[in-house]
Amino acid sequence: MPSAAEPVVAASSKTPARSWAGFERWNRKLHFYSGLFLIFFLWLFAFTGLLLNHPAWTFHEHWKNRQETNDERAITAPGTDAVTDLDQARNIMRQLGIEGDILWTTTRTDSSLLEFQVRRPGHFFFIKADWTKGNATVRQADVNLWGIMKVLHVFDGNVADDPRNHRDWALTYLWAYSMDAVAAGLILMVLSSVFMWLRLPQKRWTGAIVLGLGCLCCGLFCLGLRWLF
Amino acid sequence: MKGRFYRLTRDLHLYLGLFISPFVLLFSVSVFFFVHSWTPNLAPDTARTRVVSSLNLPTDLPKLSGRPLVDALKPILESMNVPGEIGFVQHTVKDETLIIPVSIPGRATSVSIDLARHEATIVTRETGFADALMTLHKSPGGHGPGIRMNWFVMKAWRWFADATVYLTLFISVSGIYLWYVLRAERRIGFILLFAGTLTFFGIAYAVSR
Repeated sequence: MPSAAEPVVAASSKTPARSWAGFERWNRKLHFYSGLFLIFFLWLFAFTGLLLNHPAWTFHEHWKNRQETNDERAITAPGTDAVTDLDQARNIMRQLGIEGDILWTTTRTDSSLLEFQVRRPGHFFFIKADWTKGNATVRQADVNLWGIMKVLHVFDGNVADDPRNHRDWALTYLWAYSMDAVAAGLILMVLSSVFMWLRLPQKRWTGAIVLGLGCLCCGLFCLGLRWLF
Repeated sequence: MKGRFYRLTRDLHLYLGLFISPFVLLFSVSVFFFVHSWTPNLAPDTARTRVVSSLNLPTDLPKLSGRPLVDALKPILESMNVPGEIGFVQHTVKDETLIIPVSIPGRATSVSIDLARHEATIVTRETGFADALMTLHKSPGGHGPGIRMNWFVMKAWRWFADATVYLTLFISVSGIYLWYVLRAERRIGFILLFAGTLTFFGIAYAVSR
């Protein structure tokens, strides 16, 4: 079935008209191609956004339902090549077989002690390494599928206003760039949809009213509140 | 009947999509600011400070916490002409001070109330458009459900944020239907759907295994 957005081109069109029609066709194709490719990403971010906005809904509780294990493991002091806290933490993680993004939560006071967290969606590791004693205590908390999904919504390795905490795991980069790609894809879809709508003269007025209403509501929050209050 | 259903779905997909498109842009653009810990400063941050004295404070104010504290602070902030969403309040017992963050998208106000002197120092910073987008993106958020949405405007924002999700889900499902109807695009569509599914579950599995 043809779509209302499908351009109709006369066979005898001149080159500029044909390229314009080609652009329209590809604009429309890219709209649903990107939508189909990103559909699961979109559903994840939309659905978890809803869950994050409603922490009082108890069905998606994950932290209270976590499973914890405590472990004490032997370690050796990081080599002299591990100079920074990050190098030393990575060395300890390698010895413990733990992977994830490092989160610094405490200020270091003793050079033979290192306390940090390692996080990846679904798993949280709280590590205290003491190489004068040659051991590390590891508290591991595993959360359910709701927890994994909600962490995926915000998992970018950064902590706001804390330059010490930034991405330091390759897979955090991969996920963060996936978020960028989804955002770029959505922007593309919005722009392509506006273009397709503009090519439908019979729907222009209704569309303009609806789009104007959306812009008004959204603009009120983004810009208007500072003027009103 | 089938044709009517198709046309109705197509029109709803178009009009509802147009309505939420500014919201989708808001959420999408702010993703870059979050992921890269970067906000463009289109205008310089401006801050102004003022002092309000002779405040009428309830005697039990220092004993309150959580929602009762927020509710007690609302009329005080209103009397000082500080509108906005009240955040986590810090109580410094030693200095007998309450530090109250109050936010409006694009504006951050910090109110320090000296409980002994019944005096408040108000610092207001205009944080700009990008910061407004980020504030809206993470509002109401998962933290502090007991105190959040204490300003009627942010309650309204939650309805819009929720509506964006519901409409996005509708638009994505109706979009799948509208694509499926196009026989010529089915094959390439299935390939892309499969590739996207594989990419999503592959990455999600790799980061969370």
